[in-house]
Amino acid sequence: MSYIVPIGPYHPALEEPIHAKLYTEGEVIKDAEVFVGYNHRGIEKLATERNAIQTLVLVERVCGICSHSHAFTYALCVEDINGLEVPKRGDYIRVITAELERLHSHFLWAGVACHIIGHDSMFMHIWDERELVMDLLEELTGNRVNYAMCTVGGARRDISDDLRRRLLEACDKLKAPLDRIAEIALTDKTIAMRTKGVGVLTREDALRLGAIGPHARASGVDVDVRRDSPYSAYGDFEFNVPVVDSGDVFARVVVRVLECYESIKIIRQALENLPEGPINLGTKLPKIKEGQTVKRHEAPRGQLSYMLMGDGSFNNYRISIHVPSYKNTPTVPHMLRNNTVADAGLIIASIDPCFSCLDR
Amino acid sequence: MNLQEYKRIDIKKDEVLPLAERMKKEGRFLVMIHGWINKDGTPEVSWDYAVDPVVESYHVVGETVFPSIGDIYCEAATWPEREINELFGFTFEGLDVSKRLFLPEDMLETQGKGQIMVTPLKELVEKNAVGGSSPEGEVKA
Repeated sequence: MSYIVPIGPYHPALEEPIHAKLYTEGEVIKDAEVFVGYNHRGIEKLATERNAIQTLVLVERVCGICSHSHAFTYALCVEDINGLEVPKRGDYIRVITAELERLHSHFLWAGVACHIIGHDSMFMHIWDERELVMDLLEELTGNRVNYAMCTVGGARRDISDDLRRRLLEACDKLKAPLDRIAEIALTDKTIAMRTKGVGVLTREDALRLGAIGPHARASGVDVDVRRDSPYSAYGDFEFNVPVVDSGDVFARVVVRVLECYESIKIIRQALENLPEGPINLGTKLPKIKEGQTVKRHEAPRGQLSYMLMGDGSFNNYRISIHVPSYKNTPTVPHMLRNNTVADAGLIIASIDPCFSCLDR
Repeated sequence: MNLQEYKRIDIKKDEVLPLAERMKKEGRFLVMIHGWINKDGTPEVSWDYAVDPVVESYHVVGETVFPSIGDIYCEAATWPEREINELFGFTFEGLDVSKRLFLPEDMLETQGKGQIMVTPLKELVEKNAVGGSSPEGEVKA
């Protein structure tokens, strides 16, 4: 018997609104369509009526989870057009914030994924450990969600020696819970049964559809902007880019768990080698010079790109924001095919989608 | 150390497809397609490819109809093409625009007219304010 099963835009397995239509034969999904746009806020349009400092505040609100990534990438654009050289210490602080953001984002995703597969004790355990990262972010930036750490020309808050010491201690503290989470995630029978062989995206499909970030790396595509096209201070640090080639939901779990270790490694290197000097250029309100640029940042979910056009005034002439979910969401119908309806929520969530980001 | 570079290259619209084919063959990632209208009113679209660590940005100026590269880059191309069609009204030949991407279903009738990005913000606010009128003259909340 054929059915069309609607999921969303509002559904318990979805943290944000998306509508999926599943065309099924009995329990098996034969085809699927996804519909987005439920969070479209016209942010690109709003940005054309704002100056650079106001835009930093605006773009941080594109997404509550990767807010720093948005401000970071926009600031890189303004600095490039205006020819500003950010002080090294400012660059390092931005990177530390970005990697802490990746940690909290991956912990958040892992918790949600466990909740969807019905492993609620693991969900609560992961989110409990995530609090340690959230506390660090709060101590570093003063905020738990929109960190406001970036300004044009550097970072907004410095790291004192005392905070630096405590952050380094926290890197050690994080290792034990992460080891525990990794051990459970990679060996637990329930997690394996619900994720292995489910929602497979082959390497060929990932390349064909343009998948990016951990989602692509779980399908054997070895891409990471931090390594392939270094920016800010990323060229100063040694880290690995975990790549797994099975392409299923389990592979996406493995990649994100391994990435957490790499983020801790980057944070540790940045803290141990934190340069002396100013954290920013003291830029007040810059005019955005006439010109155009594109900057890319490896956000927690993959490559985030910003295009900025300036016309010599204080306001942006045009910004164009393209987020990882923009590239990864179109892969969802391909992953859903020949899986069961019961796994649909998990497969959609496995790309770590952010529809607020996507819709802007 | 900032190795990311941006390189602008102007091309004609009949070079868009061969370029996309070449980039795909070389395994280049399509970073994004952007559309906008310049201050002097000329439309412009750019196709950005990652030739790491450089972003090569290919621009076509003064056209509103372009070939779709959806057959080459699949949804990585068709989604931004559909977005540009909705928000700016530019046409991509061969692109299926029978369904909306970002705009609400009830704005399908304005699809392809570039209402959002082209209309000045003040006019949009007036049109969509309580008591204001939609393009068909209906009251919108």
